[in-house]
Amino acid sequence: MTIETEQSELRAVIKQHFELNITVPEAFFQAEAGQIAQACLAMARRFQKGGRLLSFGTGPSASDAQHIAVEFVHPVLMGKKALPAMTLSGEISGEVGTPNSFAHRLELLGRPDDIAVGFSAGKPGAAVLEGLEAAHRKGLLTILLTGEAGREMAGLNLDFCFAVPTIDPLTTQETHRTVYHILWELIHVFLEHQGLFEK
Amino acid sequence: MTQSEASDYDRLFYPYLFEGGKSSLEDVLAQVRSSTLDKSRDLIALRRKVLDSMQDQILAVGQAMARAFTAGGTLLAFGNGGSSTDALDIVLKLGEPPWPHAQPLPALALAHNIAMLTAVGNDVGFDNVFARQVIAFGRAGDIAFGISSSGNSANILRAFEQAHAQGLLTIGMAGYDGGKMARMEAVDFSLVVPADQVPRIQETQATIYNALLAVVFSSLNGEA
Repeated sequence: MTIETEQSELRAVIKQHFELNITVPEAFFQAEAGQIAQACLAMARRFQKGGRLLSFGTGPSASDAQHIAVEFVHPVLMGKKALPAMTLSGEISGEVGTPNSFAHRLELLGRPDDIAVGFSAGKPGAAVLEGLEAAHRKGLLTILLTGEAGREMAGLNLDFCFAVPTIDPLTTQETHRTVYHILWELIHVFLEHQGLFEK
Repeated sequence: MTQSEASDYDRLFYPYLFEGGKSSLEDVLAQVRSSTLDKSRDLIALRRKVLDSMQDQILAVGQAMARAFTAGGTLLAFGNGGSSTDALDIVLKLGEPPWPHAQPLPALALAHNIAMLTAVGNDVGFDNVFARQVIAFGRAGDIAFGISSSGNSANILRAFEQAHAQGLLTIGMAGYDGGKMARMEAVDFSLVVPADQVPRIQETQATIYNALLAVVFSSLNGEA
């Protein structure tokens, strides 16, 4: 392969990745903006009652589970209220069937007013699904961020299922990041007007 | 919201909250929905701008990374807070690439060795937590990949100085105007997302580093 051909092929690789991360979020947010607003309200209600956010994910999605927790506890915007959030994808593996499973951790740590957020960039595995199931049994608000392969999970006991319409795990993860940033940014609109959701 | 709960500030800046009693929750939900769409449009516009203005730079960085890996280099990734999770994300994808036939590549996430981080932070100071690990692990020809939204984090800048002195390829990602990072001689490539909202900066940085990974793996598979 000549250098010129390689350069133009690699240019196309970059363009294709960016274009996917323009068209996919465009379609996703157009379809889900109303549900995102509802999720902000439901989460704000939980925080207002003293609830906390518990996040978990496996593989590269473990990094998103960590990111969302730090976003809430240590806001990047000065003056925003800090909100309690912790990740289960830190010191434990989350391995199914062990005391380190997410489900077991949620049973131990979770309280009924809390919020469980599970991440899966592909088809959600047992670790995340069993975690959400355990959270639901305890009365937590349950939210799954997934991709096209996880869309069918919307039928489970989930309060919110945000499925990014692509099978590309990289693009799914990038859109998850925007979802949790926006949830974080806009939950504050409700928290700053607590009287609103008491009616 | 009842009138008695509201501050004068609320009444001044959020008049819609006080109009028509019962409907105000629906109004705020509609407002939040429209704000969600605005934010996603800002992001899309930023990604378009970065694709137009930074494509050559992304190509050059991706190819430099591919050359370093081909020569046997290891990538050391580091950042603080949310950027530490970007570093982890990059390392996990290099180790288990989500592309068919792609071979794993060696990489370390420096913020994820908690014993190391807390030992150095406690004994020497937080500004040294990454530089100390560059001394321990960095070899000439390796890649130092540092991420900072501001471009001014002292521990990141110090790690770049150290990495450059040891002959590593140094790549920095930042937002705003790139801060001090973008002006350092020790940084070979600065990828600066020209924006000032941290969430949108981080979301666009993810697109850039995933595009870099795509270039690296395509380029290493190129001969096949």
